[in-house]
Amino acid sequence: MSKPKYNEFQIFDKVDDSVTFKIETKMANSFFVYLQQLELMAFFSGYPLIYAVIIYFAGNKRAENNFKTRILAVLPFAYAFTGTLYLGLQLKKLYFNYSSENVKLLMHSPYLMIWALISILFWIPAVGRKRALSLLHSLVFFFFLVKDIILQFASSADENILKNDMRIYTVSLLLNIGSLVLMLLLSFLFLPKKKQELK
Amino acid sequence: MKLFNNKALLLIALILISGYGYIASCTHKDLILPDQSTGTVIINRGNSVFLPGTETKGDTTQWKMDKVHSSVLWSGDYLQQGALLTGRFNMFGLNSLPSSARQLYVTKGQPVLDTSWAFYENDPTKTYFAGYVQMNTSNTGEPGRDGNCYLGYVAAPKIITGTQNLQDSNVAVIRTTKVEFDTKSPGYIVTMVMSWKGLLSAPHDTTINGTLSYVKRSTIDAGTAKAYDVFGLQLNFKFNCRSFGMTTDEISDIVSVQCNINFNNL
Repeated sequence: MSKPKYNEFQIFDKVDDSVTFKIETKMANSFFVYLQQLELMAFFSGYPLIYAVIIYFAGNKRAENNFKTRILAVLPFAYAFTGTLYLGLQLKKLYFNYSSENVKLLMHSPYLMIWALISILFWIPAVGRKRALSLLHSLVFFFFLVKDIILQFASSADENILKNDMRIYTVSLLLNIGSLVLMLLLSFLFLPKKKQELK
Repeated sequence: MKLFNNKALLLIALILISGYGYIASCTHKDLILPDQSTGTVIINRGNSVFLPGTETKGDTTQWKMDKVHSSVLWSGDYLQQGALLTGRFNMFGLNSLPSSARQLYVTKGQPVLDTSWAFYENDPTKTYFAGYVQMNTSNTGEPGRDGNCYLGYVAAPKIITGTQNLQDSNVAVIRTTKVEFDTKSPGYIVTMVMSWKGLLSAPHDTTINGTLSYVKRSTIDAGTAKAYDVFGLQLNFKFNCRSFGMTTDEISDIVSVQCNINFNNL
């Protein structure tokens, strides 16, 4: 087979720097949006499964014992604690410069970030009593995982994306379990005889 | 809300989704394989073919050099015995630069199309490339050095703002003459002709060997409307700068060059 010749060289009539810049900006933006999405998944995507397990095993209409009552009661507070940790991470990123410009630079997905920070409202007892709301809130982030699973299933997309998602999901499960255990311990330490208030 | 009141259904659905995710993501790619008993290197190459076409934006069959995410790096021993002296070329491209193209261009971007290449993963006889660097765009991070003594060491003209100088006095060009499989790695052995005037009276050609690595194609933003593909080529080679009349003892005889070239089909 004969060796191919070099392509004819061509000179640009006009070099469009703005197009190059737009492509560069688009690639950089999508990358940071993806990173922020992973960050949100790391905090919140594991909560629905933990919620479902606890509700299944402890969520009888008539609470059988103090432990089940407590774990059900602290569930939304554990979620609020996770949200607080997320807020802490964002504040840590902004450390030294809390200007509005810096905040804008940090917020690649502002709506998702605001939605994530709403989880802090579960510290309010009136909101915390509505446990199903915490599930609905966290399902938004679980949806990212579902989306990538469907894409991988439907179009054989890059399996490394799903692999990465599952690692993040595992971290999220561990983080939410940790939050729940911590809240449970605190409830035993500081609210030993106020189980009725927790309900 | 009925769905969420059905605890078992919710739990089963979440376990199934999570379980499928773990199973589907289990690629075993990170497993460290045991040493082969025979010592024979097993190399699996795909059949990817990448061609530049005419660099038409939006045509996903045409692969474009992603200049902003590529680099051409050089290094050599400082004072022939110290640690490495390193730098990069700010302006480079993939064009064979025929004599008619060797001129000054008034532009800040790529002066000529980066289309002098083709890559066949499983047929190196069809693979070829030609590339150039503008010698006066070397960047060591020390502007005082880059714009002054360095230019004298390589006999390159000063940079004229807003222009790209592809004249003989300012370009070093490499052009492959043979690409073949490396039997000991998944890469390729490349034979090239390097052409550079340096401090000589006319451009001098010398044959050099290098290694070429292919970084496999992958999809970015897979499954979305803005999905695109990327792949990379890494070329490593060395040359003797004395062959081109360089006499400075600031750097050793042997200069190493690494070209990291990324491509996309945007």
